[in-house]
Amino acid sequence: MKKVCKFLLKVLGKLTVIGLVTFAVTFTIYMTNAENKLIYYVVRPFLNKHYDSQVRDRRIV
Amino acid sequence: MKLLDKMIAPVDKALERFDPLWQAEHGVGGLRSRYYDKTGVAKWREWRGVKSTLVDYVAWINNLLAMAQMVASAPVPILKGFWEYRWMGSYLGTFMFIDRLFEGFRGPELKIAHMNMHAIVQSLTKKIAFGLKNDGRLGGGPDTENIIPYDETISPLFLMGFKGLYPFPMQTLPEFIICDIDQHIEPYYIDVAESFGLPADVCSRCAAETGVALDDAFLKVGKVMLSTNMPCNASEATSMFQRRRIDKPDFPITLAMQHQAPEAIPYSRATLEAAIAFVEEHYGVKYDWDEFAKYARLLNEQNNIELEKWEIFKTPYSALCGIAETLYRLYEWQSVNGQESHFNKNDRKVIKLMRKCYEQKHEPFGGKTRHRAFLWGPSAVYYCDFPTWVQNCWGINIVLNMDSTMGFNMIDTEDRDKGMDDLTALTQRATMRHHAVGGWENVNAVWEWAKRFNCDMVLMNDNIACNGMLGVHGMMEEQARDLGFHFIFIEHDLQDSRTVSRQDMRNCVNNYMSVVLGEKPLDPTLVEFDDSDAY
Repeated sequence: MKKVCKFLLKVLGKLTVIGLVTFAVTFTIYMTNAENKLIYYVVRPFLNKHYDSQVRDRRIV
Repeated sequence: MKLLDKMIAPVDKALERFDPLWQAEHGVGGLRSRYYDKTGVAKWREWRGVKSTLVDYVAWINNLLAMAQMVASAPVPILKGFWEYRWMGSYLGTFMFIDRLFEGFRGPELKIAHMNMHAIVQSLTKKIAFGLKNDGRLGGGPDTENIIPYDETISPLFLMGFKGLYPFPMQTLPEFIICDIDQHIEPYYIDVAESFGLPADVCSRCAAETGVALDDAFLKVGKVMLSTNMPCNASEATSMFQRRRIDKPDFPITLAMQHQAPEAIPYSRATLEAAIAFVEEHYGVKYDWDEFAKYARLLNEQNNIELEKWEIFKTPYSALCGIAETLYRLYEWQSVNGQESHFNKNDRKVIKLMRKCYEQKHEPFGGKTRHRAFLWGPSAVYYCDFPTWVQNCWGINIVLNMDSTMGFNMIDTEDRDKGMDDLTALTQRATMRHHAVGGWENVNAVWEWAKRFNCDMVLMNDNIACNGMLGVHGMMEEQARDLGFHFIFIEHDLQDSRTVSRQDMRNCVNNYMSVVLGEKPLDPTLVEFDDSDAY
């Protein structure tokens, strides 16, 4: 019984640590608006460059 | 709960100087202070106090998970979609869009706003994944041939009678929703259309749709196309361009323009029945009334809840207001239209919260509302986050948008004959059809609606390229004077933010509020700012 309790406490402890680290990381990304900065300054300019280089068939038939 | 509030209170007090609403009240900043100039990129997210910040954070996580789920459900088509379609890139602006929509929201109004928005995000992400997975241009999928592509202004409920087929709104992903998220996307498609000689003074929504068609940016799905004359005569033209480009058997669902006349019902009903026969013929599937009735009951429930919401809107104690009301109602009615039961679940939760707030006499936005406005506005209210801005800057609460008064009649699901008439009446009253189409009485009804919702102000979006509505400009101003409403015309070019910028639109309100009413802004940082490079 003691072993099971110890094991459960260990799992619970690990889950708490994982939860806290996940919260700390995601909350930091959230508060610093990091994902939007990445999208605006890096991802979208890269994608726009690609879209601008596309050759689209716009012939009217 | 009260103990938790007591524990949080000192933290809130210590951090209140970071709250932009507190900053605006104390003259040391405001909601615009945390942005980089022009871009609309915030240096950090809004501090709303411990509880509301956590509500916003959890909503952000939930939306992030919905998007991750979308990518996981169809990773290759999603990646191909990003590479193929310019409009897909614009969806990356969704988080910024949601942030700016709910700026200044706190407490129950924030919670409800996020509940509504999350329902939309869930629905849209599923739609994007399903569409791209079956897009013929990307290789197709198991349901490519089972999709019924239709013009997004047709209410799709009647198509739910085809078991095993999937109605899909053609313009919603590449044109309509995305113009709300990114002000720079539709000008690209407008330019494509105009490069072929389409005049620059036509409705920019129609020009954008035409450009999407010419750019081959519509998904390639289904066996036929259901086009329409809705909402207005400009749509007839764009339907003609699209049907030529899409090059599939097309059925134009032309519903009566004078849709409130009694003779409109038999005429429009015959068109709907012919459309049903057309789908039956091309897909080889029989129409199933019982299947349809299942979804009609869902829409009836949504409309029933909506009518209860309207009763609360009439009071100062509605926790659902502004953009959270207008955008949700538009999406729930026009795009969902009874098809997705999770919207019913959301509505039940929201109305419960609204009832509670009403009983507690909770005034939204800290009771700072100075005017109650009825909005007569289309898409432009979204790409400039208009309802949020007018509340935060001038204390004008958008109580209801005219577009929210789309078909709210109930459908008889037992008596098929009566049900068909009800369905026809509902289908005729789709987006924009109540206020901008159907004769002078419809346009003029805005005063009656504003009065019914105890509004002292009417904000009317003036689409400078809408030839139909330009004619009534002077008459509306005269009526407003006679009836004693504060009345502001807000010029815009619908989906082309180059012609009338967001700041130009805001200036229409700024001028009226400062010059005519002599009022001071709640947040001076919002009066004039440059967001021309923002999504």
